[in-house]
Amino acid sequence: MKLPVNPEKIVQFKGMREPLSLQAVIKESNRCLLCFDAPCSEGCPAGTDPAKFIRQIKFYNYKGAARTIRNNNILGSVCAFVCPVEKLCEKKCSIKALEDPINISGLQRFASEYGQRFEIEPPAQSLKSEGRIAIIGGGPAGMGCASALAKMDYEVTVFERENLTGGVPRWNIPGFRLPEEALVYDVKNLISQGVEIRHKSPVETPEAVTNLLAEGYDSVFISSGLSVAFKLDMLNGYSNVTDYITFLRKVKFGNESLNLKNKNVAIIGGGSVAIDSAVSAKACGANKVYLISLEHLSELPADKEEINLARIMDIIFKSGSQITGVVENENGLSGLTGIETDWIEPGKFIPLNARQISGTEFRINIDLVVQAIGTKPGNEIMILAKGLKTIGKGIIEVNEDFETNIPGVFAGGDVVNGGATVVQAVGEGKKAAQSIDNFLKNRRTSK
Amino acid sequence: MKFQADLGVNFCGIRFGNPFCLSSSPVGNHAEMCARAYDAGWGGIVYKTLGLEKSFKVIMPSPRLSVYNYGDKRFIGLQNAEQITDRPIRENIRDIAWLKKHYPHKVLISSIMGYVDEDWIELAKMSEDAGADMLELNFSCPQMAHKSAGHRVGQDFLAVAAFTEVVKKASKLPVMAKMTPNITNMVPVALAAKQGGADAISAINTIKAITDIDIENFTPLPNIHGHSSATGFSGPSVKPVAMRFVSDLYNSKPLGLPISAVGGIETWIDALHFLLLGATNLQVTTGILRYGYRIVEDMIEGLSDYMLERNIKSLNEIIGKSSRKIVDPSEFVTRFQVVSVIDDAKCIGCGQCYISCQDGANQAVKFDTLTRKASVDEERCIGCLLCKHVCPVWDCISINLNFHFYIHFHSISRKLRSKN
Ligand SMILES: Cc1cc2nc3c(=O)[nH]c(=O)nc-3n(C[C@H](O)[C@H](O)[C@H](O)COP(=O)(O)OP(=O)(O)OC[C@H]3O[C@@H](n4cnc5c(N)ncnc54)[C@H](O)[C@@H]3O)c2cc1C
Ligand SMILES: Cc1cc2nc3c(=O)[nH]c(=O)nc-3n(C[C@H](O)[C@H](O)[C@H](O)COP(=O)(O)O)c2cc1C
Ligand code: SF4
Ligand code: SF4
Ligand code: SF4
Repeated sequence: MKLPVNPEKIVQFKGMREPLSLQAVIKESNRCLLCFDAPCSEGCPAGTDPAKFIRQIKFYNYKGAARTIRNNNILGSVCAFVCPVEKLCEKKCSIKALEDPINISGLQRFASEYGQRFEIEPPAQSLKSEGRIAIIGGGPAGMGCASALAKMDYEVTVFERENLTGGVPRWNIPGFRLPEEALVYDVKNLISQGVEIRHKSPVETPEAVTNLLAEGYDSVFISSGLSVAFKLDMLNGYSNVTDYITFLRKVKFGNESLNLKNKNVAIIGGGSVAIDSAVSAKACGANKVYLISLEHLSELPADKEEINLARIMDIIFKSGSQITGVVENENGLSGLTGIETDWIEPGKFIPLNARQISGTEFRINIDLVVQAIGTKPGNEIMILAKGLKTIGKGIIEVNEDFETNIPGVFAGGDVVNGGATVVQAVGEGKKAAQSIDNFLKNRRTSK
Repeated sequence: MKFQADLGVNFCGIRFGNPFCLSSSPVGNHAEMCARAYDAGWGGIVYKTLGLEKSFKVIMPSPRLSVYNYGDKRFIGLQNAEQITDRPIRENIRDIAWLKKHYPHKVLISSIMGYVDEDWIELAKMSEDAGADMLELNFSCPQMAHKSAGHRVGQDFLAVAAFTEVVKKASKLPVMAKMTPNITNMVPVALAAKQGGADAISAINTIKAITDIDIENFTPLPNIHGHSSATGFSGPSVKPVAMRFVSDLYNSKPLGLPISAVGGIETWIDALHFLLLGATNLQVTTGILRYGYRIVEDMIEGLSDYMLERNIKSLNEIIGKSSRKIVDPSEFVTRFQVVSVIDDAKCIGCGQCYISCQDGANQAVKFDTLTRKASVDEERCIGCLLCKHVCPVWDCISINLNFHFYIHFHSISRKLRSKN
């Protein structure tokens, strides 16, 4: 059972869902089958172990549930708000064969908030040092890795470009989706583990990683995420064209400067971030917000819940269509022209496979265009270490242990997987931490 | 830093790391199972009741179980027709010895059942030699096929006293007598056990009951080749009855023996209820049958957090805390009368409170079919709280605690009513 979203809260950029009531929590946890070898736990990339925390909730061990979540997933509170559960833990929930899946994120939120409210003890701080590790980037992957390493008694330093920790959840995920307190709590837990976070410390000079190793760090983990947005050539050079990373950050930190009241906004893209951008634009007071995507409604990569959110907010779906040109006036871009499209070969959702349908041309008046067609790592990443191997759009190549081609240098999160989820990034950070530990243990024994 | 309260208890001179034990039943049927239970965190095990096959050969009825369901809630109670162990005594004794060797710091209690004095003596000695820490005398299995065993003994004061005495003479181990609830008053039986030398009382064994009938062939369940029987009922449904017996035992001044509580325990809250009523030790079967040994993790962590939050250093501080609040109904203070109050904002307008109050109480709830809201006529409300208990919104109806007002209000309105 999921609670509906509240449009009034969206407009205020406040948590759009109420927490489950205690009565609902008891009912929902009693619906859980407490499966053997539970598929839900299998489906969580960070190993949060929902089967365990739901069992703890069912047996009224609420603090125990909060501890499980926090100890397994340093972003456990954040994940309760942002995980696309229908593709993860809830996907293979056994009870789906009989009825609706268990509302796992709802229960995760309850337990996590219970732990905050009734103050479970902070995570243990290690006083030993098994070695020194440098982490580049304090987003979910870096936090996941740092927390796991601290638990294994490593001394961890995180180098973070920004003045705050958290990566994308901090700067870009809209407030109606993720209340700030959740992230603040998770970061606080990381700090109480004894992890040192150096803010405003970009690592960007050539061979910086090599230097860190020379300075006495035993290993380095790169988790710098994706920071450069892709742009369409056609839209280059207009002042009222932006990308979703920049746009969402502005919405979150100073949306007055955007001044979208009664403006028309076009979002290009059909993924979750496109919908976040569209809903945010509408919540900022925009008049008409168009979501233009080659994919048709049923093919959108965003999940059902997000699409429903866009529907509630009256986003205009221009699904299965393409922009063909720009309409200009004296101020620059004043509109877009487009056309509806079809797929030449069914099931292949790439621009090259799109076919325009003549007679369906359209033109819309637009004051702001937000491009949400993907991101890639910053250019500095490729040169952080001499000979660091990257592929495709610049993502770092790693083996199954998240080790790069340079011994002792590991990487994970978006900068490796090309862009996935918070929980995936945390999971990769945790796995890399394990690999780093194995690597250093091997090195010690072979010495 | 470990954030764990001390759950240790001393029961009959034996130290338990925590009070949670398996009760005698298939959950502690052999060494491999018991080892896994210890590993899961259980503080002790009461091994499946031993008997001597040379005196009586146990053959289990089949099928053995039936459940009591209510709507979509299954398994709120369990009926079993199981006897004591059907494994050879030799194997069981070997298992007990193995367990004590590999888990020397965990408690193992041997549950035994004889048919004549010699059996009791032999079983007690064998258990002691195998290393058991304590004995539990099974005076309470309600479905023994043997005519002079189980609850029939447990209903016979003299037999209970005599067998306990025989065992006490044969063995140096502390002895706990397990009571049958299939009796009007448990205290005299417990006193008989005490007279025989028992060091502790465990209660309850299962309640004789019939859970279900196949309405096509008229055979009650479990259908054991065409017949059934009123046999042992356990699980959440029996907890209220078990609590009553534990409270009776604890509140008996002449008894004064430590109590091991059994019956419907699944969560730390259930466990706490029994502790508050006076139990020092706790045993579980049906909860494990249903969910596995793992439930002890949440009992331990939940009870520990409860203690830490209230700065309770030892379970001894809370054992029996609620018992003195259980009094004879003749001692109730009836000066205070309450009325229920409905939270308008929470009412979802189902009218269940109205129906129940109309047909089962004092017609005090009013229901407005236009606004679909219920309200309470305080003058008619008799404060039974039927409405509160049927309301689907758990925190919608509460007691109006404006006592003073309502004492006057009620006495005045009652007086007025009686004048008319
Ligand atoms: C708008 C938006 C909405 C999203 N919504 C969801 C969602 O609802 N659910 C979900 O699961 N996922 C969502 N995601 C995806 C998710 O946020 C990412 O997959 C996740 O944040 C990746 O974590 P990361 O640590 O790999 O990278 P990031 O979160 O990008 O963190 C990288 C960190 O490294 C720092 N950094 C970068 N370069 C340097 C450098 N040179 N030196 C020092 N520090 C550096 C950055 O400042 C940042 O703090 C969303 C993403 C976006 C963009
Ligand atoms: C299948 C089954 C077998 C049992 N066998 C025994 C037994 O051999 N000896 C005994 O003393 N009690 C036996 N009991 C009773 C339990 O030990 C316990 O007293 C009772 O079930 C109540 O506790 P519960 O609600 O936790 O199950 C058995 C109970 C069940 C359900
Ligand atoms: S962390 Fe996310 S994916 Fe994992 S169990 Fe929780 S909600 Fe599901
Ligand atoms: S898979 Fe579903 S039913 Fe099974 S334990 Fe997980 S949440 Fe519960
Ligand atoms: S039972 Fe509760 S919800 Fe239903 S009408 Fe009465 S007060 Fe309202």
